[in-house]
Amino acid sequence: MNRARYERRKLNNTIFLLTSLLATAFGLSWLLAILGNLLISGITHINLDLFTKMTPPPPGEGGGLANAIVGSLIMSAIAVAIGTPVGILAGTWLAEYGRYSRFAQVVRSLNDILLSAPSIVIGLFVYELIVATTHHFSGFAGACALAFIVIPIVLRQTETMLLLVPNSLREATSALGAPTAFIVQRVIWRSARAGIITGVLLAIARISGETAPLLFTALNNAFWSTDLNAPMASVPVVIFQMAVSPYKGWHELAWAGALLITATVLLLSVIARIIGSEDKHR
Amino acid sequence: MNDSPSRAAPPRLETAVKAAGARRLERSNTLFRQLTFGSALLVLAIFVGMFCVLLYGAWPALHTFGVSFFTKSVWNPVTEKFGILALVYGTLVTSALAMLMALPVGVGIAVFLTEFCPRPLRRPIGISIELLAGIPSIIYGVWGLFVFAPFFQRTAQPFLVDVFADAPVLSSLFAGPPYGIGLFTASLILAIMILPLITAVTRDVFDTAPSVLKEAAYGLGCMTRETVWKVVIPYARAGVFGGAMLALGRALGETMAVTFVIGNAHRIKASLFAPATTISAAIANEFTEAVGDLYKSSLLAAGFFLLFITFVVLALAQLMLVQLEKRAGGMRV
Amino acid sequence: MTDNPKISIRDLEFYYGKSRALHGITMPLHERKVTAFMGPSGCGKSTLLRVLNRIYQLYPNQRAVGEVLLDGQDILSPAQDVNLLRASVGMVFQKPTPFPMTIFENVAFGIRLYEKLSKAQLRDRVEDALRRAALWDEVKDKLHMSGLALSGGQQQRLCIARTIATRPEVILLDEPASALDPISTGKIEELIHELKAEYTIAIVTHNLQQAHRVSDYTAFMYLGDLVEFGTTEQMFGDPKDPKTKEYISGHFG
Repeated sequence: MNRARYERRKLNNTIFLLTSLLATAFGLSWLLAILGNLLISGITHINLDLFTKMTPPPPGEGGGLANAIVGSLIMSAIAVAIGTPVGILAGTWLAEYGRYSRFAQVVRSLNDILLSAPSIVIGLFVYELIVATTHHFSGFAGACALAFIVIPIVLRQTETMLLLVPNSLREATSALGAPTAFIVQRVIWRSARAGIITGVLLAIARISGETAPLLFTALNNAFWSTDLNAPMASVPVVIFQMAVSPYKGWHELAWAGALLITATVLLLSVIARIIGSEDKHR
Repeated sequence: MNDSPSRAAPPRLETAVKAAGARRLERSNTLFRQLTFGSALLVLAIFVGMFCVLLYGAWPALHTFGVSFFTKSVWNPVTEKFGILALVYGTLVTSALAMLMALPVGVGIAVFLTEFCPRPLRRPIGISIELLAGIPSIIYGVWGLFVFAPFFQRTAQPFLVDVFADAPVLSSLFAGPPYGIGLFTASLILAIMILPLITAVTRDVFDTAPSVLKEAAYGLGCMTRETVWKVVIPYARAGVFGGAMLALGRALGETMAVTFVIGNAHRIKASLFAPATTISAAIANEFTEAVGDLYKSSLLAAGFFLLFITFVVLALAQLMLVQLEKRAGGMRV
Repeated sequence: MTDNPKISIRDLEFYYGKSRALHGITMPLHERKVTAFMGPSGCGKSTLLRVLNRIYQLYPNQRAVGEVLLDGQDILSPAQDVNLLRASVGMVFQKPTPFPMTIFENVAFGIRLYEKLSKAQLRDRVEDALRRAALWDEVKDKLHMSGLALSGGQQQRLCIARTIATRPEVILLDEPASALDPISTGKIEELIHELKAEYTIAIVTHNLQQAHRVSDYTAFMYLGDLVEFGTTEQMFGDPKDPKTKEYISGHFG
C-alpha cells in the first residue's frame, strides 16, 4: 500500500468534508440573517393597531393593515373553496380512474409544470380572462388567480396520498360489490384524509404570500372593502406598495406585514407537517 | 322482508332487490367518474387556456414588431416601440448567476446532510430547509431592499469596484456607481431564494441512491468523498440536473425577489452592478400603468415568452426526474 | 352425497400480461360445501379465487379466458354486472382489511350499498352479521369504536361479518387465517364450519392440516395446473396423482 497516496486521499476527504460544512454554514447563515432581520425589524411594529386600523395614507403614521388582512383572508378562502374540490377530484381521477392511461400522464406532467409556473404569468392570464372582459379589477379575479395556484398543489398531494392507500383496501371494498365511486368516497378518501388536509394547508401557506398574481387582478384598495366586485387589498401587495415607497411609516408597516406573512406561512407548514406525520405513524 | 337476528333466517337477498340497488349505484358511480374526469380536464384546460389567452393578448405586439421584438432592446412607451431583448438579457443573466451561486452551495449542503451530518441533527436541519423553501419570495425581496442593498452599497460594492478597477474584463463587470441594487444584487437574492429548493431536491435525489451501492463503495475502502463523487453523484446525476432545472424554472419566472432590487432599467450594460430589469419585474412594475394597447400587448408578449421558456425548462426538469424515478423503482409509485 | 355444483369452472385460463398463470382449469364448487384450493406458493390458487368475483379486473393487463358458471350464468361474460356479482360472491382477504370507520359502519357499509333500510332494520342486520361471524359478544358494547382498534383475529372476523352482511351466496376466503395466531385461527375455522350450512365456500390455504380440517372438497394445484380434484377424504386418504401424494406427505412445497 502506498502510504503517501493514502494520506493524500485522507486529506482530500477532509477538505471535502470542510467544504460541505462550509457550504451548509454559509447557506444557512443567509437564511438565518433574513429571518433574524425580519424578526427584529418586524416585531416592534406588531401591535393591536396592525389588525384593527386601515392602511394609512402617506407618510403612514399610526395605521394598520386591517383591510389588507381581511382582503387576504377573503381571497384565500375563496381560492381554497374553488381550488380544493377541483384539485381533489382531478387528483382522484388520476389515481383511481386514469392511473395508467396516456391522458392521465399528460395531465400529471402539465400539472407538475403548473406547480412551478411563474405566478406572474398566472396573474396575466387571469387579467386577460376576467379583468379585461369585465373591465375592472376585482377581489374575485384575485381569488381566481390564487385558485389556479391552489389546484396543482392539492392535485399533486391528493394523487400522491391516494396512491399510498394500499390496494388491499380497494379490493376489500370492491369485493363487497361497491362501485369505484363508493370505494373512493367512503374508504379511500377517508384513509388519505390527513394527507389531503396537509396538501390543502400547504396550498394556503403558498398563496398567503403570493404577490405577483394579485398585482393586476385584485389590484389594491386603501379602504375597507369586502366587495368581491371591487379592487381588494391584500397583505403582500400592500407590502410591495409600501416597501418601494419613500415613507418611513410605510416601511415599518411593510416589515410588520412581512413578519406576519412569514409567521403565517411557517405556522401553516408546521401544522401541515404534524398532521402529515401523525398519519404516517398510524 | 322479515329481518330478525335469528340464526335460522336464510340469509339471501332477492336478486331483484340487489339489481335495483346496483342500478342506483351505477348512476351515482357514473356521475362521480364524470365529475372527477371533468376536473382533470379542467386542469388541462387551464394549462392550454393560459397559452392561448396569453398568445391572443400578445398577438398585436408580435404582429407589429415581428422578429425585432426579440432582437431589439428599445422600450419606449411614448413612441410605442418595444423590444424585449434587455428584459430577456436581465432574466437570463440573473437566473444564470443565481444558479452559479446557489447550485454548488445547495449540493454542498445536500452532501453534508446525507453523508456527514450527525444523525440527530439531520432531521432538524432538513426540516428547517424545507420550511425555508416555503417562505414567500416577497420576504426575500423586502430583505434585499431594506437590508442587503444598503449594506452592499456601503461596504462590498465600492471595495469590489476598487479591486477590479485595473483587471481587464472584470473592471467592466464590476463598474459604475454603487447603487446597491442591480443585476448582481438581484441574482444574489434569487440565489438565496432558490437555495432551499435546490438543497431539498438534491437531498431527496441523493437519498434514492441505494444504500447497498454506497455500502459496496465503503466496503472497498472508499472514503466519503470518493463514494459521493464516484457512486452517489453519478447515480443521481439526472436527478441533480432535474432539480437544478426545477430551480432554474423558478428563478426565471420569479417576480418579487427580483423586482425590489433590480432597479428597473431597460438597458443592457456589461456591469453587474448596473440597474437592469427582467421580464417578470417589468410586468410587475409596468402592467397596471401600461396605457395603450400596444404597450399592454408587449408586456403580455413578454409574459408569453417567459411562460414558454419556463415551460421548456420545467419539462426538461421533469424528464430528468422521471428518468431517475424509473430507475429508483418508482419513487412516486 | 348429492352435491350440486354452485359454480362450474370450465377451461379457465388466466393471463398476467402475456404470461399465463392458469392452464385450462375445469372443476366445480359444490353448493353449501367448503372447497379448499391448495398447493405451493405460485401455483395459481389465489389467482383462481380472484377470478370468481372478477376482482382481478381492478388491474389492467389481467385477463381471464374460459367459462365460470354461477347458477348456470357465465360470470366472465361482459354483460355481467361486476358489482352485482361481487355482492353475491363475497371475499375475505389474507390480511384483515377493516375500513377506517367504526365497527358498526364497517358492517353497515355493504348493506347500505344495496338496500335502503330503516335504522332499526339496519341495526338488526348488523347484529345478525356480527353474531354469525361469532364476534357479537366481543364487540356489542363498543360498536362505535374504530374497526382498526380490534385485534387481528377480531378484525378478520369483522371482515367476515362485513361480507356476510351483504347476504352473498358464495364466500371466497384467501388464506384468511395465515396472518393470525393459533387461537384466532381456531375460531375462524370453527366459523367456516358453521357458515357452510348456508353458503358455498372456497378457501385458499397452503396449510395442509387446515385444508384437511375445514373442507369437503380439495383441489391440488401446481404451476398453474389443476393436478387433482376430489373429496377431501379421498385426496388425503388415497390421492391418485403421484404429485398430490408427494405434496400431502410433505415432500415439496
